[in-house]
Amino acid sequence: MTAPEGGGGLPHRRWWSPYLFLAPGLAAVLLFSLWPFVNTVVLSLTDARVLEGGSFVGLANYRRALADPDFWLAAANSVLYLLVVVPCLVVLPLGLAVLVRREVPGIGLFRSAFYTPVIASAVVVGLVWQWLLRSDGAVNAVLVRLRLVTEPVPFLTDSTLLLVSAMIVTVWKGLGYYMVFYLAALGNVPGALYEAAALDGAGPVRRFTSITVPSVKPMMLLVGTLSAISALRVFTEIYVLGGESGGPGGGARTLPFLIRQVGLGFAGETGYASALSLLLFLLTLAFSLLGRRLTKGDEA
Amino acid sequence: MTRYPLIRTAVATVAAAGLLSLSACGLGGAGPRAGEARKTGRVAGEITFRTLQLKPVYTAYVQGVIDSFERAYPEAEVKWEDVPGDGYNEKLVADAQAGALPDVVNLSTDSFQLLADRGMLADVASLDAAAAKEYVPGAWEQFKLPGKGEGVYAYPWYVTPEILTYNQDLFTRSGLDPARPPTTVEQFFDYAEQIAARSGGRYAAFMADPKGRLPGDWQKMGVPLLNKAGDRFTFDTDKAVAWADRMKDLYAKGAMPKESLLKADDINQLYGSGRLVFGPGSPGFVKDIKANAPQVYAQTRVAGAVTGTLGHIGIYAQSLGIRKDTAHPDAAAEFAKWVTNGPNQVEFSRRATIYPSNAQGLADPRFADRGDGKDAETLARAIGAEQLRTAALDANTPVQWTSQVGDAVAREMQKAIKGEEDARTAVRRAEEEANRLLAAAGRR
Repeated sequence: MTAPEGGGGLPHRRWWSPYLFLAPGLAAVLLFSLWPFVNTVVLSLTDARVLEGGSFVGLANYRRALADPDFWLAAANSVLYLLVVVPCLVVLPLGLAVLVRREVPGIGLFRSAFYTPVIASAVVVGLVWQWLLRSDGAVNAVLVRLRLVTEPVPFLTDSTLLLVSAMIVTVWKGLGYYMVFYLAALGNVPGALYEAAALDGAGPVRRFTSITVPSVKPMMLLVGTLSAISALRVFTEIYVLGGESGGPGGGARTLPFLIRQVGLGFAGETGYASALSLLLFLLTLAFSLLGRRLTKGDEA
Repeated sequence: MTRYPLIRTAVATVAAAGLLSLSACGLGGAGPRAGEARKTGRVAGEITFRTLQLKPVYTAYVQGVIDSFERAYPEAEVKWEDVPGDGYNEKLVADAQAGALPDVVNLSTDSFQLLADRGMLADVASLDAAAAKEYVPGAWEQFKLPGKGEGVYAYPWYVTPEILTYNQDLFTRSGLDPARPPTTVEQFFDYAEQIAARSGGRYAAFMADPKGRLPGDWQKMGVPLLNKAGDRFTFDTDKAVAWADRMKDLYAKGAMPKESLLKADDINQLYGSGRLVFGPGSPGFVKDIKANAPQVYAQTRVAGAVTGTLGHIGIYAQSLGIRKDTAHPDAAAEFAKWVTNGPNQVEFSRRATIYPSNAQGLADPRFADRGDGKDAETLARAIGAEQLRTAALDANTPVQWTSQVGDAVAREMQKAIKGEEDARTAVRRAEEEANRLLAAAGRR
């Protein structure tokens, strides 16, 4: 499908035309993504503070991070968050999508209802859950009334329970979002496959495992990657539920939480915070590569 | 299957975008050093004036002050810009880095420290030697830099003093006499213990909030926060340990709402719904309660703040700094003095719950009027003003106690109060971490 020789087609003399079209987008990426990234790398090698350029200190910030118990605690919390939240967000929305896909009267209402938490602001969601989970909140009131517990459960004042509570909020908020992804993927599965399987005597469970799951597998990997990245970036849920210290004694701090704590404010250690950001970057990169590796294996 | 490469591209793109935005958290380098401005004796030129969240409520007031200034000095022109509280300091840092500070700028205690420390503010004592006597001494002193001579780097503006507010109905029900509010931290804790014992879990005494209570409580108990040179924290003392032990005991007994260990922001709600005996210590709060919870307001009593061994409160004035290399130092200085003069500050205090840092302003009869001695808002105004006259800087949070230090200490105290760590260890670790942060900040 090439242009006819000798005329009609636009001559390709101006080699730079495509770059001209690219320029605005490229400039935005260079200015707002690439340059800050390079700047972060440079800062991570200095002892810069807010309003002070700092001097070159080599890898001292990284050595400090590796010896910093707060860093290891935050990294462990972040990874734990990912390990719990990602499987939930890959599997549960699929189940939900299969359920709301049926064309029954009023299904639109359910679809919207499941999507509502997505559009609610994270702060509002956090506050609602905080009221539910406080020691004098609704959940504890029910548990105590049913005599399931004698003392209110410290959902928000125990570091581990706080982390679990935050995970529940993240999963609850993500359900509707990823459900929409799966609904789109399910729409692409040919109905004939299901009919053929039914004729061959496959029940609903078999149809789900042998047709639905393989058909949406690439989407599951996309959802896995997306939710892994957002799990590693979690901040708001913990901040709203557990206050600015990040749980009692800071025990529920994740990496983004620690970065904020170290880098923000007039006494902020910009250099060290940059080093922590890059360590988080490496962690995220590792999990993203893992996701890609999984996609590749599937494709071969 | 063409969908696979498509999804792979999507995965890669999303990953790359996410990663880049993740890492884009860096900050820029150092700001430029400013050259010194000299007065010329002529109040003229266009100056910029930045305030902290005064629009739209106080637009008329501020514009009125600007208009009257421009009438008095026809050659001068003031360009006013108001910035919301959220991100005010971040914008200030960005402007300082870019060399784009306004000529006259509203500063809080911490932003003052940051800019003054780096030599970005003009010495107003040398710009205008006669200004000192116009302000309350404590407020004027606040804008000197420790160890850096007699220079004063901002004009004091409005102040909000600390007071004590409490619900007298709950006080009486707990068997306490509302006419005898606590005056020391230890007494405050004794009262809290009695409240917890009598409340049956229906109400609590006060908010745990270690970040908010410290270092104030320790200062009031006579704990030495810093050594003489001010380069080492020294709060690891028996008294500080006793504080942590007492807090742990009171927390276990229910004297504080459980979640208040982590968050302090629902104090208005708790106090306003009659579930907290001691309210926040600011006069502005009394006004809020009057509007939002009239029944609780009727039960609200006001007294002087708990000051313990100090005997006086600290002083936290908002201030107006002058950019060091301003093109119009005469107009900037004259305008800052105009905004902070007695009549203008008194007028401001009629519209907002603030107090003048100006000696003439604070002497206004309005601040001595106790009314019939029953209305909490009127009493708060009189008591607050009374306390301001003796306020002194040794009760302030020292500048070395940065937000980072406060966080680090609060984390250890949270562990101690929850009983996850013994009080002595927690105080020792808090001091170690605070000293590490202080040493790191001092390495310039």
